[in-house]
Amino acid sequence: MAIILAVFIILVLYDLQRFIRKKEQARVFTIYVFLMAVSLAVSLLLAAGKRPASPAKWIEGILKMMGVVK
Amino acid sequence: MEKARISSIQLFLLLFGFLFGSTVILHPTSSAKNDAWLAILLGGVGGALLMGIYVAIALLNPSRTLVEILRDRFGKFVGNAVSILYIWYFIHIASLVFRNFGEFIASVTIPETPMIVVIGIFAAILVYAINSGVEVMGRLSELFVPVLPVVVLIIFLSLITTHDFTAFLPMLENGMGPVWNAAFGFITFPFGETVAFLMLFPHLNKKGNLKKIAALSALFLVVLSLLLFIMDITVLGSNLMQRATFVPHLISLLIPGLNVEPLVDINLLIGGGIKISVCIYAAAKALSQVLGISDYRKLTTAITTFCVVLSIWVYENVLEMFSWAEKVWPYYSIPFQMIIPLLLLFLSLRKRVKPSNARIES
Repeated sequence: MAIILAVFIILVLYDLQRFIRKKEQARVFTIYVFLMAVSLAVSLLLAAGKRPASPAKWIEGILKMMGVVK
Repeated sequence: MEKARISSIQLFLLLFGFLFGSTVILHPTSSAKNDAWLAILLGGVGGALLMGIYVAIALLNPSRTLVEILRDRFGKFVGNAVSILYIWYFIHIASLVFRNFGEFIASVTIPETPMIVVIGIFAAILVYAINSGVEVMGRLSELFVPVLPVVVLIIFLSLITTHDFTAFLPMLENGMGPVWNAAFGFITFPFGETVAFLMLFPHLNKKGNLKKIAALSALFLVVLSLLLFIMDITVLGSNLMQRATFVPHLISLLIPGLNVEPLVDINLLIGGGIKISVCIYAAAKALSQVLGISDYRKLTTAITTFCVVLSIWVYENVLEMFSWAEKVWPYYSIPFQMIIPLLLLFLSLRKRVKPSNARIES
């Protein structure tokens, strides 16, 4: 947990200070924060041993529902 | 669009490296057992035709990326929505290749090291390459991709005394069904994934060579895949090939008096690295165009971080990885690789015919 948080803090601080210095558009901040937040949330859940249903499972489920995959 | 330009040879090597990617460890035609050579040939023809569709789309829409073509043909709203689906698809491919690479290295080469460390270090290097731009990626491919066939040849020739050519028999024991299935798998992986190159084709300095480049890269991959298959089947036999988790690793262990295991790792490192770089570049570039951001580099770190996390999240274990790649991936890829590109081709052709008709009428 601590290592994951440390890695994410380093990555975010390194990028955000660059964004602030270059006065980036709000949409850059928004998409950056969204991707990083999703990554951090999933990482912490995986580290805690609470694996959320993966996209591979969702896709397989959808294809099974459509009858494409048995 | 950025002014970066890549030469024909650079694009050919990028395409070949991309196609080779993780094919070396996933063996998309293995379900056809000892008839996989036929599946490789049939899949190669189909794959070349599919790449031909992508090339035709690029030639009909010169200097336009996939996102721009989608917006032009489907309208801004639908075009952007489909672009977002493609961004997901490119991120997904990158994650799967990360996982293939991590799974192989962490279970074969350095089993004491956690997979996330292997993938994380690899990702950090790739972000640097992607941020350096298309030209650097092209030059890196010039430097590294020629190593791939050389390594395959070294391993093939090292095992020359071990080959047993009766392993090809009996031919078509289970009929053509498994062969067609494997051939379809070979079309979707790796040929269909070259749809990502629709984000790179505008950077080619001589557009006239595009058809030749695509055809040659497909031909080279088919030849190399055949060589790899002949080596695997004649050394291991179809039964052991089916049961082995990582065939290239097993093959490399059988060479008497030589340790060529690192060469297999190098092949995966180069092929996988190029494939991931191209996919992340395509995703970052597409996302920056959808959102109207001037430089794709602002998003590469976030996208790569997401890819690394997704690569760990996507499968629970190596068996799920192989099973999903074989059973689900081909069908999941159909809309991205075939349906939407065919629609784009049809709409591009119709648009090209329309103005000429208008001129005749006037």
